[in-house]
Amino acid sequence: MKIRTNLRTAAHYAVVSVLLLATLFPFYMTLINSWKHRRDLYEHFWGWPTHFYADNYATAARYLLPYMLNSVIVAGGIVLVVLILSSMAAFSFAAYDFPGKGLLYVLVIMMMMIPGFLLLVPQFVLVKGMGLLDSYAGQIFPPAAVGSAMGTMLIREFLAGLPAGLFESAQLDGAGSWRIYSRIALPLAKPILSVVGILTAISGWNNYIWPLVIISDEKLKPVILVLGTISGTIEQGMGLQLAGYAFASLPFLVLFLFATKPFISGLTSGAIKG
Amino acid sequence: MSTASLSEGAKPKKLGLLRKIWRVRQAYFFLIPVFAVLGTFKYGPLVVAVQKSFFDWNGANVDRFVGFANYAKVLHDASFRGSIGHALALTAGALAETLTLPLLAAVLVFHIRRRRLAEWVRVLFIVPLIVPALVVIKIWTWVYASQNGILNSLLELVGLDGWTHAWLGESGTSLWALVLYNFPWIGGIYFLIYLAGLLNIKAELFESGSLDGMGVWQRFRYLELPLIRGQIRLVALLVVIGQLQNFELPLILTGGGPGESSLTPALYLYDRAFTYNEMGYASALGMVLCVGILIVTQAIQKVFKSSETSG
Repeated sequence: MKIRTNLRTAAHYAVVSVLLLATLFPFYMTLINSWKHRRDLYEHFWGWPTHFYADNYATAARYLLPYMLNSVIVAGGIVLVVLILSSMAAFSFAAYDFPGKGLLYVLVIMMMMIPGFLLLVPQFVLVKGMGLLDSYAGQIFPPAAVGSAMGTMLIREFLAGLPAGLFESAQLDGAGSWRIYSRIALPLAKPILSVVGILTAISGWNNYIWPLVIISDEKLKPVILVLGTISGTIEQGMGLQLAGYAFASLPFLVLFLFATKPFISGLTSGAIKG
Repeated sequence: MSTASLSEGAKPKKLGLLRKIWRVRQAYFFLIPVFAVLGTFKYGPLVVAVQKSFFDWNGANVDRFVGFANYAKVLHDASFRGSIGHALALTAGALAETLTLPLLAAVLVFHIRRRRLAEWVRVLFIVPLIVPALVVIKIWTWVYASQNGILNSLLELVGLDGWTHAWLGESGTSLWALVLYNFPWIGGIYFLIYLAGLLNIKAELFESGSLDGMGVWQRFRYLELPLIRGQIRLVALLVVIGQLQNFELPLILTGGGPGESSLTPALYLYDRAFTYNEMGYASALGMVLCVGILIVTQAIQKVFKSSETSG
């Protein structure tokens, strides 16, 4: 009996290990080869680097940093807009009863169901008409509009879960609605705000099609658009591009280390609600 | 004055609608920003998309009403029909993938007894999700590359030199490469959804299950599987919606090629709009696709509903 359970546990762990290794294998290959010189990569494809060729990372960092900065500005802008818009809307839906509330809420939520490609063309024409091609604002607002819909829903649900009568009693105490929003609702909503923020930041960083369509100015491109195009010496070759991939992933990996919990709940709630 | 705007608890007096609205005007003020942005960047374009699907439109000077001509063209468009076939193949593949290995991984991780170990394994499975999607796609272009690609090198390593291909560059393999992308398909959101479902199952159910001498398979078949039905439906829906919109992956891996061998509907729409400037036609394609997705997702909901009542 004992042996059987042991065997079973061993098989259990073995299968998990195989699945985990298969999942991580491409990333592992990327990491080890990102430290290799061109010839090293060619000759010792599978092995550890014969010596760690840090030049790849130095070149990749020098090349990518301005684009990373663009990504930070754009993703940060999207997060800011989404948090402001959706926390205000969610507060209104959670704290008040008003004519047309149901319909207005549906109008916000419905935005999540309209596939992005349908709006790609008219959005492009609109942004072009507004003179926002090749601008940060053009990269920020359309994605922020989508994000606000989901943000409103997540924050509203969170606020609705707070003790009933909280906002009402504040009103009875004579607090104005802006005060209730900024002094009561926002501080209490911090956990969900961080979840929405992380979720939005990830999708903002990942946006590819939209900047591809509206940005042609090199100086405004987010890092995602220039992956795989790093120019270096011929000696660097593939390893340099791989170093670029690793470098562009770094911000979120670091953030993930420090904020594992909101990350995981953000990712699941995003999928479940979206 | 603001005390009149209480939500629950306050007695609803008979008031004129306008007076009612005036009393809770703050509620509307808080909605102005979100509707300003949604209206400008979403609802406006949505109206334009519907309208322009009836126009011959290049986004600028050509703008002519053509009735249902665009829609008629969609129905007879061989490229579009081909791309639908590819989307269905990709969807079928993705369904088979996400309903098996990620589910297996979630169940196995869930039953790891040592808590620290379980947490570590879980985090490691999630790491690929933190890597930007574009980076993962780029890594997979390297996996499939004909020269010095991971897959070909692996085949050569085990002596199967004859099996190597330019996976993305041959029309016989390009669609397969898209289907099998991201093997073993675990490092992602679906694994997390299953795991969240399993974690929601009450511990007592497992205790009584083990008392009854349930085997691993029985436990899965009669306890876990029925209780994470909702998660499975969610995954199926997300996969179908995601695959029918699939766009970045073929754009970057194959560009829809070679020829049109891995073209997807959304990528075709993009090509029509931004390579050929046929923006009216692209809008019609988008409308057709949108309605198609709506029908398919409704059908899936129905299937799950009926299987829930009958089974």
